[in-house]
Amino acid sequence: MPDTAPESTPESTPESLPGSRPAGRALRLGVAGPVGVGKSSLIATICRALGEELRIGVITNDIYTDEDARFLRSAGVLDPERIRAVETGACPHTAIRDDVTANLLAAEDLERDFDPLDLVVIESGGDNLTATFSPALVDAQIFVLDVAGGGDVARKGGPGIGRADLLVVNKTDLAPHVGVDVGRMVADAAAARENRAVVALSRRDEESVAELRSWVLGVLGRFRAGAHVAQDPGPMAPHFHADEDGGYVHSHDDAPAHDHAHAH
Amino acid sequence: MTSPHALSVAMLLADARLPSGGHAHSASLEPALLGGLPVAAVPAWLIGRATTVSLVEAGTAVVTARLLGGAAGTTTPAGAVPADTIPHATIPHATGPDGVRGPAGPASAVLDRVVDAWAARTPAPALRDAARLLGRGYLRLARTLWPDAPEVRAITAYDAVRGPLPRAVVLGAVAGATGLSAADAVRLTVYDDAQTAAAALLKLEPLDPLTPARWVLEACAAAEPQVPRVALCATPEDIPASGSPQTEGWAEAHALLSQRLFRA
Repeated sequence: MPDTAPESTPESTPESLPGSRPAGRALRLGVAGPVGVGKSSLIATICRALGEELRIGVITNDIYTDEDARFLRSAGVLDPERIRAVETGACPHTAIRDDVTANLLAAEDLERDFDPLDLVVIESGGDNLTATFSPALVDAQIFVLDVAGGGDVARKGGPGIGRADLLVVNKTDLAPHVGVDVGRMVADAAAARENRAVVALSRRDEESVAELRSWVLGVLGRFRAGAHVAQDPGPMAPHFHADEDGGYVHSHDDAPAHDHAHAH
Repeated sequence: MTSPHALSVAMLLADARLPSGGHAHSASLEPALLGGLPVAAVPAWLIGRATTVSLVEAGTAVVTARLLGGAAGTTTPAGAVPADTIPHATIPHATGPDGVRGPAGPASAVLDRVVDAWAARTPAPALRDAARLLGRGYLRLARTLWPDAPEVRAITAYDAVRGPLPRAVVLGAVAGATGLSAADAVRLTVYDDAQTAAAALLKLEPLDPLTPARWVLEACAAAEPQVPRVALCATPEDIPASGSPQTEGWAEAHALLSQRLFRA
C-alpha cells in the first residue's frame, strides 16, 4: 500500500541528474503497445525501481474501465492519488496522438497537485501496433512487446517498434514456454530499429530491471540538461523493401490506398 | 492579415476532429443509456436537450460574449433588434483579471456573475466538472488561435487566478473574439451537443451511422424557434433556466462507475 511510496524530497534526486527540472516540469514518458504485453506491469516495475529517488505520477488511458489505474494503485508501488485515469471515448490512439487534450490536462493537474514531480508516466490504452504518442504529449516513449505475442512481431516493425525511444521485449521469463528465442527477437528488433535502444525485460530478472532503470535515468538526465529532443515515431515508419535492384525505401507519405489495421 | 469569416470559425468549433478534448465526451448520452434510456428514445432525448440544457449553455455563451464587450450579437438575426444593438466598449489590454474592464465592469466580476448563473442552472457536480474540463480544452485552443483578442486575454487571466471556466463561457469569449453572431453561437452550441451525443451513440450502440445524423438535424430544428430569444440574452439573469433533472441524476451515477468509455 502507500507506505511503500515515501514522500520524496528534493535531496533524494539522483546526484547524477543535472539541475532540478530546468524544463520547469516533469519528464513525460509514454508507454505504448498492444493489449496484454505488460504495460501496467512495466510501469509498476519503473515505480518500484525508481520510486525511492524520483517523484513519480502516472496517468492511465483505459479503453473500457479504470482497470489499469486500479491495478497500479493496488500494486502498492505509488501513492494511489498519484495515479489518475482518463477516458478516451473508445479511441485510445486519438487520446495520445490526434487530440491529446485530456492527457495534457491530466499531466498538468498531476504536476500541480504533487509539485514538484520528476517523472510523469502516461500509459496508452492497449491498442494496435500503429499507435504512438505525439511529441506534443510526451518527451519520450517506450513501446512494449512481449515474447508471448510471438517472436516474429519485432521483425514486422511499425512506428513504435521501429522508432520509439526504447523498445521493451517483455516477459522474457516466458520465452521457454512459448518457444521464442529471446536473443533472436531482440536481434530482429535491433535491426528493425537501426540499433535504437532495446531492453529484454522480465520483472523477475533484476539485471534487466536495472537496465530499464538506467535507461529512464539517462533520458531524464538528458531531458534536464536540455539535450533531449522529443522524437516522433510517426504514423508509419518508412521501411526498406529489398529487391533485385537493391531495394527501395517505402515512406508511406503518398500511400492512401494502404490498408492499415485499425482497432475502432 | 484578413480574418476568417465567423461561419468558418463556427465550422471549426463544431468539427468533431477539433483537437480540444471533445472526443472523450458523450454529451450525457453514455450516462443516459447506462441509466436506462432506451435507444429508441434517443431522438426525443436529443430534442429535449436541444430545447433545455443546450439553451442554458447557449445563453451562457451569449451573455459572456456580450458582457465581455465582444462582437457577438452585432450581426443581427432577422427580426431581432433590441439587445443586439447594445453598444460594446473595447476591453483594454491588461495582465490581471481585475485590471481588465468590459462594459459591465471588471472582467473577473463579470465572469463570476456569468459562472454563478451557469452553475446555478447546472446542479450536478459531475456535469460542472466535465464542462470545466471541456472549457480548459477550449481555452488551450483559444489561447493558441486568438491570443491577442481582449476576450481571450480576459478569460486566460481569469483562469490563471480563479481556476477553469466552463466551456460555454470560453465559447462566449471566442464568439466575441471572432465576431460570431449571438444567434449562430446558440446554433453552434445546440449542434455541437447533439452531434457529440450522436457520435458517441455509434460507439455505444449498433446503428446505421446515418440514422443519428437525421436526429441531429431534428434536434437543431426543434431548437430553432428558441434561437432568437436566447440570442437576445444580455444579463446572467436572462440565461434560460430550463433544466433536465434526470440527466443530472444520470451524470452523478455515471461519475461513480468504473466502466465507461466517456468522461461524461
